[in-house]
Amino acid sequence: MHGALHVAKTGLSAQDTQLKVISNNLANVSTVGFKKDRLEFEDLLYQVRRQPGAATGEDSMLPSGLQLGSGVRTVSTQKLFHTGDMQITDQPFDVAINGRGFLQVAMPNGDIAYTRNGELHLDGENRLVTSEGYLVEPAITLPDQVTNFSVGNDGTVSVTVAGDPNPQELGQLELADFVNPQGLQATGQNLYIETAASGAPIVGLAGEEGRGIIKQGMLEGSNVNAVEELVDMITTQRAYEMNSKVISTADEMLSYVSQQL
Amino acid sequence: MDKVLYVAMTGARENMYAQQAHANNLANATTTGFKSDFEQARAMRVLGEGYESRVYSMSERPGTDLDSGTLMQTGRDLDVAVAGDGWLAVQGPDGNEVYTRNGSLQINAANQLVTGSGLPVIGAGGGPIVIPPAENITIGNDGTVTIRPIGENAVEIALVDQIKLVQPEQGQLFKGRDGFMHTDNDVPLAANPNVQVRAGYLESSNVNAISELTSMISLQRQFEMQVKMMKTAEENSSAAAEVLSMS
Repeated sequence: MHGALHVAKTGLSAQDTQLKVISNNLANVSTVGFKKDRLEFEDLLYQVRRQPGAATGEDSMLPSGLQLGSGVRTVSTQKLFHTGDMQITDQPFDVAINGRGFLQVAMPNGDIAYTRNGELHLDGENRLVTSEGYLVEPAITLPDQVTNFSVGNDGTVSVTVAGDPNPQELGQLELADFVNPQGLQATGQNLYIETAASGAPIVGLAGEEGRGIIKQGMLEGSNVNAVEELVDMITTQRAYEMNSKVISTADEMLSYVSQQL
Repeated sequence: MDKVLYVAMTGARENMYAQQAHANNLANATTTGFKSDFEQARAMRVLGEGYESRVYSMSERPGTDLDSGTLMQTGRDLDVAVAGDGWLAVQGPDGNEVYTRNGSLQINAANQLVTGSGLPVIGAGGGPIVIPPAENITIGNDGTVTIRPIGENAVEIALVDQIKLVQPEQGQLFKGRDGFMHTDNDVPLAANPNVQVRAGYLESSNVNAISELTSMISLQRQFEMQVKMMKTAEENSSAAAEVLSMS
C-alpha cells in the first residue's frame, strides 16, 4: 500500500526491542555478576525498483536507479563481559573473580552451568551452594562446628573447626574459561550455559592459564552503567517517535487520497 | 480523458517511493555504521510519436551519503570505528569482498573475527582473520590485531593479523542490495595503510533525523497536491461530460 508504512514498522519494532534490552539492563543494575546486553541493528535488504543503466529510450539510459531499503532489523544481542565494580562485603561466603573465568554450578538435571555471581551459601547438608541452592562444582562439604572459613586466591577452600587449631583443606574451587564468552547462552538466575559458539569450557585452577583469581569477601557488581542506559533510552525514545511520525504521515496520505478521489 | 490524471498519478506514486527511502533512513537512525541514502526526483519526458508534451516524475537514488557518523565510545576491545575516510573489508553474504563501517566485531566458534551479523573480517592475507584463544585482544590504529595468548606472560604479545582497510576513490563504492558497499563487478580494492581505526569506539548512523522528517512532511504535502490535481482532472472531465451530454 505504502512502502514507508512497512519500513517504519520495522523501525518501531527494532526500537521496541532496544528498549526492552535497555530496561532489562537497568532492571539488573544491582544484580551481582550481571553482564549487560547490547543490541545489534542491521539494515534490511534493498529492493531495486529501477536498475541503474537500464534503457529509457533509444539513446538514453537511467544514470542512477532507484533502490529502496526495506527497513531495519535486530540481528543479535551481545553480552558485554567487561568486569563490574568490585564491592567489599566481608562475608566469608562471598567470592569474586578478578579476571576471566566462571564458577561452575551443577544444575538439578546434572548439567553444568556457569556464573560470575559468587554469593555462596550453605545448604542443610553443609554443602556450598548458590542462592538458588544449586551445588558448586566441584562440590565442597563443610564439617560441623566450623569457626573459620577461608578461600585462597587460587580457590583453595580451608576451614578450622572448634577445638583444632590447624586448618584443614576441603578442596579447591575451579574456574571455567571460554574462547568466546559472548557465545554463552544466558539462562537467567545469573547462569550461562555452553553453546557451540562459546566453545567448550577450559576448566582449571584460578590464576592459571589466564583465569582470574578468586577474592574472598568481595562481590562483582553488575557492569551496567545507569547513565549510559538512560542516554540510550532517550535516543531510543526519539527514534521511536520519529518512526511513528512516519506511520502517521503515510496514514494521513492514504486517508487523504481515499477521501479526495 | 485528460492525461493530466496520469501525470499527477506518477507524481503521487514517486512521492510514495521517495517516502519509503526516507522512512528507511529514519528506521536506521540507530544502526551502527549506517550510511543514509539520498533520494531525488527527476523529470522524465514521455518519449514516443508526436509532440512530447508530457513529463513524468521519477524518483531515484543518486547515491549514498558517505559522511562519517559520530564516534561513540563503548570501551569494548573488539569495537572498531574507522577514523576519517576508509572502510573495513569483510566477506559478504555472496562471498565477494564488501565494505562496511559497522565495526562491532566478535569472535565466532571457529575463532574467526566476524562482524555483528557473522560475516568474516578480511585480513592482510585476503582471508578471514583467525584469532587463537587469547586473554586479551588489542586492535591497533592501523588495524593490526595483537593478542596476549591465554596463560602467557604480559611480555608474550603475539601479532595475529591485520584488518584489511581500504580507501576507495570517490564514486567507486555503491550500496548493494545487501546493504553493504560494493565496487563495480566486485573487484577487491587494495589495502591502504593510511586508513586508521579506533578500537573501543563505534560509529553511529549518519542519518540526520530532522532533515529526513522534514522531507517526509514536504513529500506528504506534495502528495496531497498531486491528489488535488487528480481530483481537478476528475471534475474537469465530469464538467465536460455535462456540457456534452444530450439532454
